[in-house]
Amino acid sequence: MEIKDSYELPLPKERVWAALNDEEFLKKSIPWCEKLERRSETELAAEVKLKIGPMSTRFIGSITLSDIDPPNGYTITGSGKGGIAGAASGSARVKLVETKDTSSTTLSYEVSAQVKGKIAQLGSRLIQSTAKKLSKNFFGSFVQQLEDINKSK
Amino acid sequence: MNEVTKIDGIGSSVRRTEDKKFLTGKGKYTDDINRPGQVQAYFLRSDVAHAKIKKIDVKDAQSAPGVVGVFTGDDIAADKVGGPICGWVVPCRDGSATKEPPHPLLAQGKVRFVGDAIAVVLAETAEQAKSGAELIEVDYEELSPVVDFENAGEGAQIHDEVPNNCYFDWELGDEKATADALSSAKKIVKLRVRNNRLVPNAMEPRCALAEFDNLDDSYTLHTTSQNPHLTRLVLAAFMFAIPESKLRVIAPDVGGGFGSKIYVYIEEAVCVWASKKVGRPVKWTADRTQAFLTDCHGRDHVNDVQLGLDENNKIVGLRVDTVCNLGAYLSAFSVVVPTYLHGTLLSGQYDIPAIYTNVKGMATNTVNVDAYRGAGRPEATYLLERTMETAAREVGMDPAEFRRINFIPKGAFPYQTQVALQYDIGDYEPHLDKAMEMIDYSNFEKRRAEAAKRGMYRGIGISSYIEACGLAPSAVVGALGGRVGQWESASVRVNPTGTISVFTGSHSHGQGHATTFAQIVADKLGIPMENVEVVHGDTDKTPFGMGSYGSRSLASGGSAISKAVDKIINKSKKIAAHLLEASEDDIDFKDGKFVVGGTDKEKAFGEIALAAYVPHNYPLETLEPGLEENAFYDPTNFVYPSGTHIAEVEVDPATGVVQVVDWAACDDFGNLVNPMIVEGQVHGGIAQGIGQALLEDAHYDENGQLLTASYMDYCMPRADDLPSFKVGYTTTPSTVNDLGVKGCGEAGAIASPPALINAVIDALSPLGVTDMSMPATPQKVWKAIQDSQSVAAE
Amino acid sequence: MYSTKYVKPNSTTEALEAIKSLGDGKFLAGGMTLIPTLKQRLASPDGLVDLSGCKLDSIAEEGETLKIGAMARHVSVAESAVVKKVIPALAKLADGIGDRQVRNRGTIGGSVANNDPSACYPSAVLALKATIHTNNRSIAADDFFTGMFETALEDDEIIESISFSKPTKANYVKFPNPASRYAMVGVFVAQFGDEVRVAVTGAGEGGVFRHQEMESVLSSNFSADSLSSVNIDSDGLISDLHASAEYRANLIKEMTKRAVV
Repeated sequence: MEIKDSYELPLPKERVWAALNDEEFLKKSIPWCEKLERRSETELAAEVKLKIGPMSTRFIGSITLSDIDPPNGYTITGSGKGGIAGAASGSARVKLVETKDTSSTTLSYEVSAQVKGKIAQLGSRLIQSTAKKLSKNFFGSFVQQLEDINKSK
Repeated sequence: MNEVTKIDGIGSSVRRTEDKKFLTGKGKYTDDINRPGQVQAYFLRSDVAHAKIKKIDVKDAQSAPGVVGVFTGDDIAADKVGGPICGWVVPCRDGSATKEPPHPLLAQGKVRFVGDAIAVVLAETAEQAKSGAELIEVDYEELSPVVDFENAGEGAQIHDEVPNNCYFDWELGDEKATADALSSAKKIVKLRVRNNRLVPNAMEPRCALAEFDNLDDSYTLHTTSQNPHLTRLVLAAFMFAIPESKLRVIAPDVGGGFGSKIYVYIEEAVCVWASKKVGRPVKWTADRTQAFLTDCHGRDHVNDVQLGLDENNKIVGLRVDTVCNLGAYLSAFSVVVPTYLHGTLLSGQYDIPAIYTNVKGMATNTVNVDAYRGAGRPEATYLLERTMETAAREVGMDPAEFRRINFIPKGAFPYQTQVALQYDIGDYEPHLDKAMEMIDYSNFEKRRAEAAKRGMYRGIGISSYIEACGLAPSAVVGALGGRVGQWESASVRVNPTGTISVFTGSHSHGQGHATTFAQIVADKLGIPMENVEVVHGDTDKTPFGMGSYGSRSLASGGSAISKAVDKIINKSKKIAAHLLEASEDDIDFKDGKFVVGGTDKEKAFGEIALAAYVPHNYPLETLEPGLEENAFYDPTNFVYPSGTHIAEVEVDPATGVVQVVDWAACDDFGNLVNPMIVEGQVHGGIAQGIGQALLEDAHYDENGQLLTASYMDYCMPRADDLPSFKVGYTTTPSTVNDLGVKGCGEAGAIASPPALINAVIDALSPLGVTDMSMPATPQKVWKAIQDSQSVAAE
Repeated sequence: MYSTKYVKPNSTTEALEAIKSLGDGKFLAGGMTLIPTLKQRLASPDGLVDLSGCKLDSIAEEGETLKIGAMARHVSVAESAVVKKVIPALAKLADGIGDRQVRNRGTIGGSVANNDPSACYPSAVLALKATIHTNNRSIAADDFFTGMFETALEDDEIIESISFSKPTKANYVKFPNPASRYAMVGVFVAQFGDEVRVAVTGAGEGGVFRHQEMESVLSSNFSADSLSSVNIDSDGLISDLHASAEYRANLIKEMTKRAVV
């Protein structure tokens, strides 16, 4: 299961990269994020309350950053345990490519997701759609925030 | 007085006497049974497929509301309770033995599949036990999961005792002779087939209720078992090391098994252990998700087949290389299913002069795989009948004629196959002919053309199967690595009024034994079957029995009953001779009456029974009073049901939907005791086979998560997936038992998948489609049609 | 399931009060999705407010519309003489949902509020230009379904009824998931004079959607043949164990053809 998409941002790469490493930005981007605390340079503790239809489960886990290649991209991985519901993790390989005049940047991502336990056993039909939707929400709202700041300047 | 009572004997389609209670919701299943003071058990299960357990913290769970006890593998190990055992092992090609890793009742150090039990929580209510389990913290170190069984040898090692994740590497047949035959063959047909993995889906999920009596230090276990005595034997002798007399096992009404309830599972054993530990009865009932995750699955083979033909299209040799998935631990019969219940059937109905097979049984991080309706024989039939069809196509012969010229001829019985079995009797052309007639084979092309006008692809497919059932000669089983005897027992008690109580070692969980067995007794004694009750399923009541599986109940259990009744008749003759003041040799027994030959002097069976229990006029000096006999029957050979099934399908090219439009089943089950029950078994078997061929597929993802763990995604056959079956019979009575019966429980599930897939391929053959894997889902069929069209367009 | 509070009010007003008093409460309609979710412990609301006492189950023809109460069971819609007369396609749809047990319990309001991407009813609501009447407003179908399991409903908002516009002609054809019998693809085609609406369920990652191209083709020529030239894009379609996006795209066209008769 692979999910890909990309966005054009009217901002230089350095600016986008800085936002990708700003936990406030990340917190506002992670759908239903209730808690995000930095533990180290590359790890943040996270709590997310995920609602899909009537299902409502709190995932407790972490966000880790790896394959860090400033300012060209990284892999951001969120994984959490949802108690009796099982566990879920999603990993997005993020790449930033600047245009020649450095005025804008293409953010592209490739997501892979894994679920365990009850979510896998009972909800297989929804895994791909949900992973796609969550990635879209995350990157969509990340990009939106950047654009909003840019406009307000 | 001379009115003849109507006897519903052998051959009569009597309605099933047990159905009234089942159809009115009055069955008494294990979960219907409750004991005062019982606690409920809930098993915490792994949601990762392969991991080391670094730590289990049960502290919070222990103090949760209602929780009575929380136990882990270490607690059980401390009491030295063993795990489930493997009931049959095979030697490997290199001379080594089957690798038998330990199977702890609760995981110790490692979890090996999603669903592996880690801890048990006992609480006042099931919900409290579940809530308690939610508070257990398990710290895993995840290991790379092994899911793809074909490449399991390269995966992370699952058990220290099983190098390369290979439990066994077994062979049967003459490799050199087969290689020679294939190298001299004019044509070699090659095929690779996959037998998809199935979830048994018994209507009633597994359940256990264990109770410990501290006054006499004994246990009672109510459990969903197909063979309560085997369960008692394994639990008492191998797991708990207690005398068998200290454990009573009762399998009450059991809602279906299909093989999955043969084995002793860890949950039953944990309940037994825990009932003593906490001093209260312990009950556990699986929900449907647990059934999907932890009931042994079925099938899951890949077979590479090479069939050699001579210039006359006669088979000269067959080689089959099989890799099969046995899952995380060895289950009771998981080794014998793909070996001796599979490799020995590879000759099918055909005269094949050289056969060789190699089977590798692999460990994976999936639930155990074991016997499921047919157990090895469906896999053998599938690969062989798919190959026969492919071969016929490749040589341009009608598939029916190609089979016919390769059948073992009628005069060749007893026929020694090249894979150990000796078929006692059979006659294959009549059931092929009859099935062809039933489905109007000769006019098929007209129907194909008519369907084409409607835009549908119509196809026809044949499967001529054989199976070996009626397990079995104990000596043979023992020589092949079986660790148990395979006889069956019966005790027939004549009550003083002439009614009969039959105590059988067989177990009924849907088969209709109460009816069929009563018919045998009624027929032999000439009494109404209402006067016969059949008792089964309780180790305190019935003689030691081997239980029901492998279509053995009638051939083995029925034969034991028949033998016991013969003993009753013999003794009754002695009593009658005394009462009638005649010589025993002059007494004839007919229509329920003992008659002095050539006279009108007679005694009814009831009078004899009364005399045996009220022995006022009785030869006490030479004969014991009472009328009760036991029999153990150990067959001299397997029985070999065979038959031909022909399926007809229509494929909608726009959606890929396969509709089964007609079905002819002509089976040779030997003599039939109750044709209606037999027909029901055939229907059920075909339904399951259609399920496998079109609908069912247990799918683990690459991480070992079972994605088809509910009826949202696992597709069971429903009535509207099935056509109206045409069922017919031919009869060659078995020479092995006095009743001349074979077995019918698995035949439908064995015969049907290849007939159906052959029909689908035949339907799509105008498009150039030559292969189709099971299940032939709409999406897969549609894709095959699309691919064939894009090939055509190139 | 975890134990939870249960109340059964007699009106929507009482139901709204009840849900406010519960904190994180849930409305219970037919419970065909909610109850299994609770049994699996995948949700733990503070309480359930059962709407079955709120008298929301009437079915009536009202001028140019057919108005169905939110708590009307699928079986009631399937067997209703009014529905069969006014919009037989809707009765047919209701008759094909789940199995008999589900049809006896499940409700139209529950199905629409849940907006499962594979549910049948949302396609009818969208194709039949329905209006969703809640306790405080009316929402047009085109504004109602906002994504997978998402609708325009506020947290404490109750659907009271749904009015469907009477079509000239309508039909629903579904290809059921072989296992669950949910729609793997379901297509509702409704014709209103010159206007044709085609709503597709079971296939879109964002839930039910209208297919504009097929609508315009059918508006100019209402025939199955006219659809042959239409290309269904598989982008954005659900892909799962049972059906790839490409297969679903094929089914959308095929089911639409079968619906156009």
